[in-house]
Amino acid sequence: MEFDDMKKIWDTQNNEPLYAVNETALHHRILSKKRKGFHITNISEWLSVLVYGGTACFIFGVNFYKQSGNVWMYFLAAWMLGSALYTLVSRIRRIRGERQFDRTMNGDLAHAISVAAYQVRLSFLMRWNILPMGLLTVLSVLDNGKSVWVAVGVLVFFVISYYAGGWEHNIYKNRKRELEVLQNKLESC
Amino acid sequence: MTEKEQQHIFEQWLSQHKALVFKVVRAYAFTAMDQDDLFQEISIQVWRSVTAFRQESSVTTWLYRIALNTAIKWVRKERKHQQDGNLEEVEHVLQENKMPVDERLVWLYEEISRLDEIDRSVTLLMLDNFSYKEMADILGITESNVGVKINRIKKHLISKSKKYS
Repeated sequence: MEFDDMKKIWDTQNNEPLYAVNETALHHRILSKKRKGFHITNISEWLSVLVYGGTACFIFGVNFYKQSGNVWMYFLAAWMLGSALYTLVSRIRRIRGERQFDRTMNGDLAHAISVAAYQVRLSFLMRWNILPMGLLTVLSVLDNGKSVWVAVGVLVFFVISYYAGGWEHNIYKNRKRELEVLQNKLESC
Repeated sequence: MTEKEQQHIFEQWLSQHKALVFKVVRAYAFTAMDQDDLFQEISIQVWRSVTAFRQESSVTTWLYRIALNTAIKWVRKERKHQQDGNLEEVEHVLQENKMPVDERLVWLYEEISRLDEIDRSVTLLMLDNFSYKEMADILGITESNVGVKINRIKKHLISKSKKYS
């Protein structure tokens, strides 16, 4: 069969569409998706900002109110507040950066890769962020005169969080790799 | 733009260009359930894109761009995630027309489905008579790159179609 024949066969669909659309059902779906329109990146960003910011304020407030003089707690509060601010600034920069992508397939893929790279970077930083936070928490526990076993328990909790963070980080890394493979496929002949 | 205007344009686009969307759906999704799901996903993206349309290209080019981008992303997502939820509760959006279908068209779709996601897009655009420039604009690659892909796909399809000669 010649290619022109294939085109003729292909064009028959323009007169006789393959499907009919249930427009009411479609409208229901669109409204439902619209309501669920929050993206995972948005949620994780806001969660980080609220958890870090809220915990920092709480630690600072309690420590200040009790006049405990535990300097490690102040360091921990400052570190967490810094983490919240960093996430907030990263979010603003990400949203501003979104305007630069065109609506071609390549542009769309570049945008998806950029979001994936952002998630990889953020999850990497947040994972390593667990280490200084764990260290400061253990030091403040010891400074408060608690037993070594309490400090060990806290340390175990942070180690588990660190490993869980690695699992999340790998999900984002794999997603980014898949998108890069797709982009290579688009650009190669 | 008000939501009512957006809805009006969306309905107009969908009624005038539904054949285009159906082609993409059939080329990328192979079960009735998946076709339904992909059609909805494309419709949602088309709805969202109404406010972003700047009339720098034709509506057909714009819709193909949205539909193909969505289909490629959908394929990658679907490979990982199985459909959740109770399938019997799903309200179907797409209903197949009961009409005799040309066997050669079925064959053509089968051959398209065997291509990778990118080549499927190129094939659909090529069969719908898009120029190299329009294809390059939609895909975001160079015209010469488009040309190479088209030559390869044409040769492949012609060689596979020998049983109809």
